[in-house]
Amino acid sequence: MKVLITNGGSPLSQELASALGDGHEVTLTAREQVQTSAKFVQSDLGHDQTTNALVKGVDAIVHSGDTDPKASVSNRLDVAMRCTYNLLWAAVEERVPRVIFLSSLGLLDGYDEDLAVTERWRPVPPTDPALLSFHLGEYVCREFARERRISVTCLRLGTLIWDSNSGGAISSQALYPDDATQAVERAMSAEVPSGTWTTAARTWNVFHIQSSVPDARYLTSAAQDGLGYSPSQRA
Amino acid sequence: MAWATAPVSERRGSKVNVLILGANGQLGPHVVRALESEHRLRLTDVNDLESSPHEYVKVDAGNLEQVEAVAEGMDAIVNLSVLRPDRQIAFDVNARGCYNAMAAAVRHGIHRVINTGPHFTIAGPTYEWFDYAINPDIPPQSGTGLYALTKSLGQEICRVFTENHDVHVLTLLFYNFREADDHSADGQDFTPFSVTWGDAAEAFRHALRIDLERLPSRCEIFNIFADIPHDRFSSEKAKRILGWQPTNQLEQFWRKARPG
Repeated sequence: MKVLITNGGSPLSQELASALGDGHEVTLTAREQVQTSAKFVQSDLGHDQTTNALVKGVDAIVHSGDTDPKASVSNRLDVAMRCTYNLLWAAVEERVPRVIFLSSLGLLDGYDEDLAVTERWRPVPPTDPALLSFHLGEYVCREFARERRISVTCLRLGTLIWDSNSGGAISSQALYPDDATQAVERAMSAEVPSGTWTTAARTWNVFHIQSSVPDARYLTSAAQDGLGYSPSQRA
Repeated sequence: MAWATAPVSERRGSKVNVLILGANGQLGPHVVRALESEHRLRLTDVNDLESSPHEYVKVDAGNLEQVEAVAEGMDAIVNLSVLRPDRQIAFDVNARGCYNAMAAAVRHGIHRVINTGPHFTIAGPTYEWFDYAINPDIPPQSGTGLYALTKSLGQEICRVFTENHDVHVLTLLFYNFREADDHSADGQDFTPFSVTWGDAAEAFRHALRIDLERLPSRCEIFNIFADIPHDRFSSEKAKRILGWQPTNQLEQFWRKARPG
């Protein structure tokens, strides 16, 4: 598959590009120039033909909802909303069949930890721009999916663990990079069933993704059933 | 009754201070006329205002620092800012403008924000093309139209702020504005979300007047349009909760002209 991965300077996007590069034709993109061995195309994700050219011929877009923590609040919100809109608009015009939006389980952190929170629960975002940006990105993606203009799989990711040897307590919503990569790769090709009561294709699917750690906070059975996601057991 | 949540017009001893963002647009002058006798107004707009008896500050609603600065000393914010066709500016004003207004409200302890938008901020094509008696308390489905989605994102930002901070948002939804003596299409029917400029402006007086403790939640939306028989949308909530009543039903549009 031809795969476009946004936010190309982030550790996750670079990890995904590296892991997926063996079996897929991967292009990384970012608003700034990025050092990478993967194919890279710089893009502002603006409302112009350069964004169309970026997505043309792509089979799947992996769009990260993460925003630059060093950027201003206004810039973070702008990227989260307008750039996501531009990207999906271009994707629809170029008939890209699938978008995987990388969101955050932090959107559900407002619930008590002893609650069996799943994808059926309403997100409770704070006004902190870091998490609000994910929520607003989901909002944009959902409207495109609702109009059935494109299929969007939203993966709400746990807290990424880049250094498993750092010591200290592991987050109850930890997500190791190999599990994250597996989830994305499964989402790229999964055909999620519509359900019992309709034959209409579901264009909006949400899955919670975290690793199997002790006292794991979020249930991932939907991802296991719907995507075939199989996180490795961690001690 | 806490001072901050008391009906704005009932705070004795001083006029209350109302910040209007986008005061020089289409609706702005009508809102100013409706409010100026009861409140002290600080008008703002990205465009110059030729002359006004009220305080005026040039402010870009898409600029967080400017909005936060101009909100100091205010008791309520009325957000009339809107931009429709340009993609960058639409996101700047319609979406981020709401973030800026809400951030300013929280920063300055302002507990009442009146937001505005078209009906498809909430009821986009997936409702409007199919349903009747559409009330404002439905889950938002704006669709992907630029104006609709940017306004809807702004409203969602407002809602998130009300869930996290002690601030109320009353959102007034409009669509078509008409002069009371508009006879441009008598008997030809019209958009079933139409209201006269004067009745629209009057809704803002009610939104500023209502005791915030009487609102069902910190984020409430109201459909504002004339009393018409179409039953495509419902304005019942605005009448029941705000006590707003349209005075002109624009009957010339939806009743056939009698011959002779």
